[in-house]
Amino acid sequence: MVAAVAPGSEVSTEYEAVIGLEVHCQLLTESKIFAADANIFGSEPNTNVSVITLAHPGTLPKLNRKAVEYAIRMGLACGCDITRFNVFARKNYFYPDLPKGYQLSQDKTPICVGGRIRVKLKDENGKPTLERDVQIHHIHLEEDAGKSIHDEGTSTNLDYNRAGTPLIEMVTEPCIQSAEEAGQYLTEVRKLVRYLGICDGNMEEGSLRCDVNLSIRPKGATHLGTKVEVKNLNSIRNVQRAVEAEFKRQVETTQAGEPIRQQTRTFDANTGLTHAMREKETMNDYRYFPDPDLAPLVVSDEWLSAIESSMPALPAAVFQKLTTHYGLPEYDATQLSDARELVEYFEAVCAETPNYKAVSNWLMGPVRAQLTDRALRERQFPVSAGQLASLITLIDTGTVSQTAAQTIFGLLIENPEATPTDLAKAHGLEQNRNTDALQTLVSEVLAAWPDKVAQYQKGKKNLLGLFVGEVMKKSKGSADPKLVNQLIVNELSK
Amino acid sequence: MAFDFHIVTDYYRSFSLVQADLRAGTITCRQLVDGYLARIEENRHLNVFTEVYAEEARQRADDLDRRWAANEPVGRLAGMVIGLKDVLSHAGHGLQAGSHMLDGFVAQFTATAVQRLLDEDAIVIGRQNCDEFAMGSSNETSAFGPVRNAADPTRVPGGSSGGSAVAVQAGLCLASIGSDTGGSVRQPAAFCGVTGLKPTYGRISRWGLIAYASSFDCVGPIAHTPADCALLLEIMAGPDEFDSTVSNRPVEAYSAATQMASAPRRIAYLRDGVESPGVDASIREATQRTIDALRAAGHTVEPVSLSLLDSLLPTYYILTTAEASSNLSRFDGVRYGHRTAEATDLIELYKKSRTEGFGSEVRRRILLGTFALSASYYDAYYTKAQQVRRLIREETERLFAEYDFLLSPTTPSPAFKLGEKTGRNPDDDPLQMYLADIFTVQANVVGYPAISIPNGATPEGLPIGLQLMASPFAEASLVAIAQEITDL
Repeated sequence: MVAAVAPGSEVSTEYEAVIGLEVHCQLLTESKIFAADANIFGSEPNTNVSVITLAHPGTLPKLNRKAVEYAIRMGLACGCDITRFNVFARKNYFYPDLPKGYQLSQDKTPICVGGRIRVKLKDENGKPTLERDVQIHHIHLEEDAGKSIHDEGTSTNLDYNRAGTPLIEMVTEPCIQSAEEAGQYLTEVRKLVRYLGICDGNMEEGSLRCDVNLSIRPKGATHLGTKVEVKNLNSIRNVQRAVEAEFKRQVETTQAGEPIRQQTRTFDANTGLTHAMREKETMNDYRYFPDPDLAPLVVSDEWLSAIESSMPALPAAVFQKLTTHYGLPEYDATQLSDARELVEYFEAVCAETPNYKAVSNWLMGPVRAQLTDRALRERQFPVSAGQLASLITLIDTGTVSQTAAQTIFGLLIENPEATPTDLAKAHGLEQNRNTDALQTLVSEVLAAWPDKVAQYQKGKKNLLGLFVGEVMKKSKGSADPKLVNQLIVNELSK
Repeated sequence: MAFDFHIVTDYYRSFSLVQADLRAGTITCRQLVDGYLARIEENRHLNVFTEVYAEEARQRADDLDRRWAANEPVGRLAGMVIGLKDVLSHAGHGLQAGSHMLDGFVAQFTATAVQRLLDEDAIVIGRQNCDEFAMGSSNETSAFGPVRNAADPTRVPGGSSGGSAVAVQAGLCLASIGSDTGGSVRQPAAFCGVTGLKPTYGRISRWGLIAYASSFDCVGPIAHTPADCALLLEIMAGPDEFDSTVSNRPVEAYSAATQMASAPRRIAYLRDGVESPGVDASIREATQRTIDALRAAGHTVEPVSLSLLDSLLPTYYILTTAEASSNLSRFDGVRYGHRTAEATDLIELYKKSRTEGFGSEVRRRILLGTFALSASYYDAYYTKAQQVRRLIREETERLFAEYDFLLSPTTPSPAFKLGEKTGRNPDDDPLQMYLADIFTVQANVVGYPAISIPNGATPEGLPIGLQLMASPFAEASLVAIAQEITDL
């Protein structure tokens, strides 16, 4: 009887969620993990398939060391222990998208063990002040399966392009407590893999996938309840929704006096509910055993230190650099360090202008807005770092106004070959710094407002803004306001 | 049925003789190939070849003769006519491991071992019958029907490389390339009176060899002489980027080693091999005669016992079937090979395709291996067998710390009658067949090289084999002592 709990009642006060996440990341290697086939998304079906991928008789896997390197990068970034002696294992099951009838994976010797990812959680006021470490159980390497496409009548078509794509699977300890924490963890994982350049982190295309393991227990209890796995989550938001829905379902089930069944469930993004896919008891016995076709993988000291020394700066270190070296406020540093490419762009612009804060403002404001509007990656942005730097310099030297600079920025996007100076000239956007011309305008304005001039001279100094504004109007915005200001003060103090 | 011996008398038994005649101009490659093709035709009843590449072989022979005449360079195997066991991938040629499961399958790439032979101008004359997926000791599990022993066509040739052994025995080609997982090169070589070499595990790339049990499988040559086996090994062996389990050790000049006089050696022999009543009396006597001759030649020959002898076959069968159950999962009717016409859903597609495609021995071993790997029995069988494998390896290492070679009969009995041990009757015990491998499996369990050479015949004229096993990568001294014993 579910009716014992009214919808929306405070179910969460008695129970707490215990959550573990399994995240799969497709690695951005040029070729597959055990074959030389191209590893690309979006090719024509069955074009990146060699005899190895198709599991022809007599074929053997050939390990791609780049995939191992990428997995180690992630492990180092998370503070994991790197396993030096690795044995790949066969996970045996039958499915048409699995050409060998087994998946090559790691069972007893995952490449990375332990480690943690720090997440920021919001306090009662919604500020991200609380920090927690999500503990990682391990990260292992494995191969992806192909794709079954069931949409052609009663038949199933198979595309083996994806079969053999290198994956890392990151498994957390059951230490996550809320949907928010799960979402923050995923956000951090996505940020990290992008920083490391090992995965594009695209959940819609499936290059980053997440399964949720969730159980509940009375608050404060130390035992673990029956675990339910939720699959088919294609966005961070849906992971959070699924956590909330599954938590609620388990609490309601328990309060109705029914047991939680060990199941795999799927999340329906339309209804926001989870549905049973299969009972765990009937699941495959995968009969793991060490793959005798692959020699053990040994990670030598030399190899490991070469990987260590090629590691890019990580988000925490970048944040530190932004606040200290560039003197940015924490807010700016948080925003910018979200994406490695944004930071790279920031640093490239800062190499050509000392006004770091202005650069930060431009990036967080107009640049980011344009990237979002145009759905562009930072490295695809048409305005080069040099162009943005010279635009900022034009403002700082008073050559153009902030308003004119926004116009020039828009023009630059359409004319990526032009320089900001040329555009300012061509479109008459340079500030008027001709003192003689401006002096005439100043005289005209002051002559038109004799009573205000009198008031000013009696001490009503805030009338200065009125005069400056009138001169700016007459100049059609082209005057340099600082210069105008100076000229008026000089005139009135004569 | 009386066997007509005159058919198998007139053919080359050594590659050096072939080469001498080619150089002397008394024969051409084309004549060689035509001779073999004629002999293959005359011996159809032996059921050796599942496919003969007559035109292709003639063309390659003509090309070689032309190059020879034009003084153009030719490879080291020019004039070597070979057959390939139907488990070796050969691009553009059928490949089906003696199974209906792969009916109509055409290989899309060439095994590294085969490519190296082709690169040295070997001529491949055909694809040879074998036990289905190399599982069997009598060549009776083949979907193409049994191969018959040329010494007595009512008897089996051994297995699983039965066709490959008879092809050499009956002079249908000069040499064959087989595979050896538990004795599949050596046991049929012994039954057929020819020489079969299983190299060290990892000496020859497995790329292109259909897997039975990956951690045991070896490609191995069958020929009349240790020298010819040595030459083929020398050409096939060595590092290969397509097989991560292959050894990077440099390849020695094995063929030259057979011509060198050998120093006095320390040879152990299995006491059971000359004393056990389970071993045929004539085989015990033949083995003893060789031991005596070796002693007379100045070698030290001492009896030893293996405490783990009884564990060899159980260990071998648990581990090989476990690996096989996984290796054969790819034959599922989805991408290639046999697919049932009867299925209405996915599970039925798998069950029916595999039940129809695989024969009973293959199904038996897949079931055994799946059982050994299943969660409830994993530790009792798979884990235990891995532990025993390590113990056997350690005991073998201790033995080879004191001796250069371990000598034994290759098999406990000579070739048995067709149908004698097939287990077709549900009450038959398949273990009777498995016992035929009792002396050969140790080399595969520990990965050491071993060779079987002819060692006389029983009073009924059935060939007897003698096995010598050596330390890992000691193939040079192994073929040298084998040649020496052959010449004793």
